[in-house]
Amino acid sequence: MIMQSPHKDLYWPKPAEIREVIEENSQIKTFVLAFVDRQYNASFTYQPGQFMMVSVPHCGEAPISVSSTPMNAGAIHLSVRRAGGLTAALHDMKKGDVVGLRGPYGRPFPMASLTDRDLLFVAGGIGLAPLRSVINTCLATGHDRRITILYGSRTPSDIAFKKDLTTWGQTAKVSCLLTVDRSEPGWDGEVGLVTSLFEHCSLDPDETKALVCGPPMMIRAVLAELAHRGFADENIITTMERHMKCGVGICRHCHMDDKLVCKDGPVFTLEELKRLNVFELRG
Amino acid sequence: MAGLATTFGSGAMTNSINEIENAQVILVSGSNTSEAHPQVARRIFTAMDRGARLIVIDPRRTLMARRADIHLDLRPGTDIPLLNAMMRIILDENLADDLFIEMRTENFYDLRDMLFRIDLDEMARITGVDLARIRSAAQLYGRAQKAVICYCLGITQHVCGTGNVQSIANLAMMTGNVEKEDTGVDPLRGQNNVQGACDMGALPNVFPSYQQVDNDDYREKFERAWNVALPAQPGLTLMQMTHGGKDGPLRAMFIMGENPMLSDPVIDKVKETLDNLEFLVVSDIFLTETAQRAHLVLPAASFAEKTGTFTNSERRVQMVRRVIPPLEQSRTDADIIMDLSGRLGYAMDYENPAEIMEEISLLAPIYGGMHHDRLENSWGLQWPCWDRSHAGTPFLHKYYFTRGKGRFIPTVHEPPAELPDDDYPFMLITGRIYHQYHTGTMSRKSALLSREAGEALLQLHPDDGRRLGVRGGDQVRMRSRRGEVLVKAQLTDTVKAGEVYTTFHFSEMPVNLLTTSAKDHFSQCPEYKICAVHLEKV
Amino acid sequence: MTDKYVLKKDHLLPLLRKLKKNHRLIAPLQNRHGDTLFTEIDNLDNVRIDLENQPQNSLKQFFFPQQEVLFTYNNPARNSYHFEPVAEESGPALYFGVRSCDLSAILYMDVVFLKDVKDPNYLQKRQNSILVGLNCNTPFANCFCNATRNGPFLDFGFDLQLTDLGDRFLVEFDRSRGQEIISEWRQFFSRADDKDVKAQYQAFLEARGKFSLQVHLDLAARKLADDKVPESVWHELSMRCQDCGGCAYICPTCTCFTIRDQQTSDNEGERIRSWDACTFSGFTRMAGDHNPVDRQLRGIEQRFRHKLQFDVKKDNRPSCVGCGRCVNICFGGTDIVRFINMTCSENI
Repeated sequence: MIMQSPHKDLYWPKPAEIREVIEENSQIKTFVLAFVDRQYNASFTYQPGQFMMVSVPHCGEAPISVSSTPMNAGAIHLSVRRAGGLTAALHDMKKGDVVGLRGPYGRPFPMASLTDRDLLFVAGGIGLAPLRSVINTCLATGHDRRITILYGSRTPSDIAFKKDLTTWGQTAKVSCLLTVDRSEPGWDGEVGLVTSLFEHCSLDPDETKALVCGPPMMIRAVLAELAHRGFADENIITTMERHMKCGVGICRHCHMDDKLVCKDGPVFTLEELKRLNVFELRG
Repeated sequence: MAGLATTFGSGAMTNSINEIENAQVILVSGSNTSEAHPQVARRIFTAMDRGARLIVIDPRRTLMARRADIHLDLRPGTDIPLLNAMMRIILDENLADDLFIEMRTENFYDLRDMLFRIDLDEMARITGVDLARIRSAAQLYGRAQKAVICYCLGITQHVCGTGNVQSIANLAMMTGNVEKEDTGVDPLRGQNNVQGACDMGALPNVFPSYQQVDNDDYREKFERAWNVALPAQPGLTLMQMTHGGKDGPLRAMFIMGENPMLSDPVIDKVKETLDNLEFLVVSDIFLTETAQRAHLVLPAASFAEKTGTFTNSERRVQMVRRVIPPLEQSRTDADIIMDLSGRLGYAMDYENPAEIMEEISLLAPIYGGMHHDRLENSWGLQWPCWDRSHAGTPFLHKYYFTRGKGRFIPTVHEPPAELPDDDYPFMLITGRIYHQYHTGTMSRKSALLSREAGEALLQLHPDDGRRLGVRGGDQVRMRSRRGEVLVKAQLTDTVKAGEVYTTFHFSEMPVNLLTTSAKDHFSQCPEYKICAVHLEKV
Repeated sequence: MTDKYVLKKDHLLPLLRKLKKNHRLIAPLQNRHGDTLFTEIDNLDNVRIDLENQPQNSLKQFFFPQQEVLFTYNNPARNSYHFEPVAEESGPALYFGVRSCDLSAILYMDVVFLKDVKDPNYLQKRQNSILVGLNCNTPFANCFCNATRNGPFLDFGFDLQLTDLGDRFLVEFDRSRGQEIISEWRQFFSRADDKDVKAQYQAFLEARGKFSLQVHLDLAARKLADDKVPESVWHELSMRCQDCGGCAYICPTCTCFTIRDQQTSDNEGERIRSWDACTFSGFTRMAGDHNPVDRQLRGIEQRFRHKLQFDVKKDNRPSCVGCGRCVNICFGGTDIVRFINMTCSENI
């Protein structure tokens, strides 16, 4: 084993094998990965909200949020939406193929502040991925207050993370509500924006932390709804997305006002965001 | 170039690029200067910082247009009516430079008579620019003591390209804005050495230094120097060569550093022509779309691997020096030509490009004083440079035009060859963008440039987008009478409703499948700027 | 008695010759075209060391190369993906004739690359470097290191610092490597006396009075901090900016970079990091073409906020070092001095 100074591999990925590929919908796949180096894999850990830089041969790297809970050691889940060259190449990969992983990076969700609170999770599409990590961690650590999950998808066929949604729906004190933008034959659930699900919940804004994750337009609508219902800015938490390269706060591609999303985020409270000049909030 | 040759007698930029900084009014026509000639745009911006005013003639709202004091957003192909209207207004308002006209020009009355016959409202209607704005522009240009006109392919790539240029020359002469320092007419060349290529006679009708092929004295001079008989008639133009079709005039072609399979109009015709040649040789630095069809490919050396000179828009001849030896099997253009010539029975044995330059100075009068030792360690020399002691010529036509007196040539509107109609209701304008160069042979190899602009985009007005159900990023099928392509839409108000704009940089979107073969009668320059297309969402 | 020394100008070349035996030597050299650039010296007797003109480049490329291979990778099969180190770089280097602006820029790069994380490539080069500064007796036409408060003379941060006193240099050290050089080659150095120290102070006073530009950087920084810069300034400059990236490339304190894979064969490649500019629209564009920055209206904003607002907030000083190179190179007229002037002239 070569002794290297800890910083030597600042930019070096570590090989990780795809153990399983879960097709969530036509656009999203969840990759279950384990580092090829068994010892490293066994001791590897992360916190909900963090992301990994994923290397695919000849495609460079891209940041992907971890969607599994660190309570299940031995493998990590990266849920990837096909969006560009690298993610398309990743989608072509199968069980047994090897990618490169670097991380974990980023400021995680403030898990300590979520205990002893009711929790509201609002997500759209791939946005559920990082929240899934939080939800499963809370459930695994005995969170015993109410959990409400509101999830919006484009169509019923697009509903991702079906297994988790089913499990959560069957868990005590967890209320899981789904909606779709467009219906399909056989769907008898809600149709409409995820904000329309609010009327089916009874939420106490002073006792609840809200975690919101999804496309910018959805986030804006949900923030408006939460404000309307009396949620304080410091109780609303979201994740921001930016183009990234180094992942460690030097290259500055992920700049957002005077912050760097890879280092100061990707998790931010609304109170923090409102103090900044943020494109997504400008409407 | 042909246009300026008939009016001034010489087809190159009349003044130097840095003089633009001192102009009081700058008229930019058919040039997206900040994207295509940033160093010229720099001078324009500096002049504006000093108080100069900018008039831009362009159907699109480019950055230059947005910065302009007056933007004349004419219908494509209506430059002659616009310029005639401006000239008429200048006459009406007594802004012409009578003394200059009298002393330095001829044929003014023909132009004046034509101008007095035009109807200004009619001109405004044809161009789509309201008369008040045309009048403001005319007054601004006419009143200036020192005004410069910069034009580029938006003027020349039309069936009436030569006429467009003549109109520009007319305008400059009428107001005495040529032959003086800090004034002039500046054609901005489309490539870094196209001026040099023309200077060396890479044209069908002239030898180096624009000495006509069918002039017995000139031809004899070259026949003596080169010890061969030379053709007495001009050769074929580019379009005649590449658009001959399967029964075209050529049996073989040697194409050097040109990619007609992407850059020529009516690509299908080019393909037919090239594929029917008995022998096609291409020399280039990368395997271009044209090289892929060749029987023989000769790997050529890039700018970094050869020594020689480039001549730019302002007639400045500058050294380019080898910094690395030719890679792998590449050879310099000179080596390739000399070796080929030797094998074909005509030995050439220049030891180096400096020796070639010596012959050029002997036979090409405007390069008379150009020698490598004079060009080393300097910013180059501007032709005409008659001999070793001559310091070069910053601005042309000082005291007299090259042809003696400047000649006014009245021109009339000639509509574009193919205008939109019910079947093909959009007008397609083709051109370039900042980050890519020509057919992308070199620029697409740069990761950074390809990140900035990695795919072809079709500029489409949002109103048209709405009507077609096309959103930004959607694929569009664009088709003309000659061919079709799929291209990604970019909604922007840079173009007007009814007009669309895209580039020819990306081989996967060969827009020249759609363009017409119509060309200017004199210069043979194809009408890349206008053809009619149909659009639909994919 | 201060710890200052004197080196006779006649002895400079002999001293460099000694130092060159164990160090690579980089100094401002004038080439045959008349350009002065920091260049590595091959043969001391064959070069023109130019301490009169401003080098067109800074030291940036020596610590943070324009293109740098981070590692190579190979992927011979779908289940085999390996990363290999690149051979370690060259040995110790001595940088000579480094003016206050360029030296301060290295100190800034130290913060970027070594404070919160340790960039291994930068660290290796920096640990093996000795910086010998040169105080500016005559600032150049576009200099404003007085406004950025890192010149024309420095008090610290250098290994050695030289001040030109005519026939001799006053020599000071700040860091231990400087002291080591003085003691190892003590035959070259004599102790400075009162006259020498006074002469240095005199040179400093004169230098301070020779700046051509008056740059109200503090005022501009304050306006930025108070959010008092009107939109029109961003729009005007973003529109004028010709997107050449020249400012970022030439700037000694611009350290933004991008990373890409460069395929070298079917199964092999290099991961390369290269300089980038926040003014490029691709800098922030995400997959799917969404871009949080509107290039046309605000393309230039991050550049000036970073240097004059964010770094001030973070480190209490701007990251511009006043070298004036962007003023020299920018042909859209959107350099930092223009921004500061526009900002300061707006009546709010």
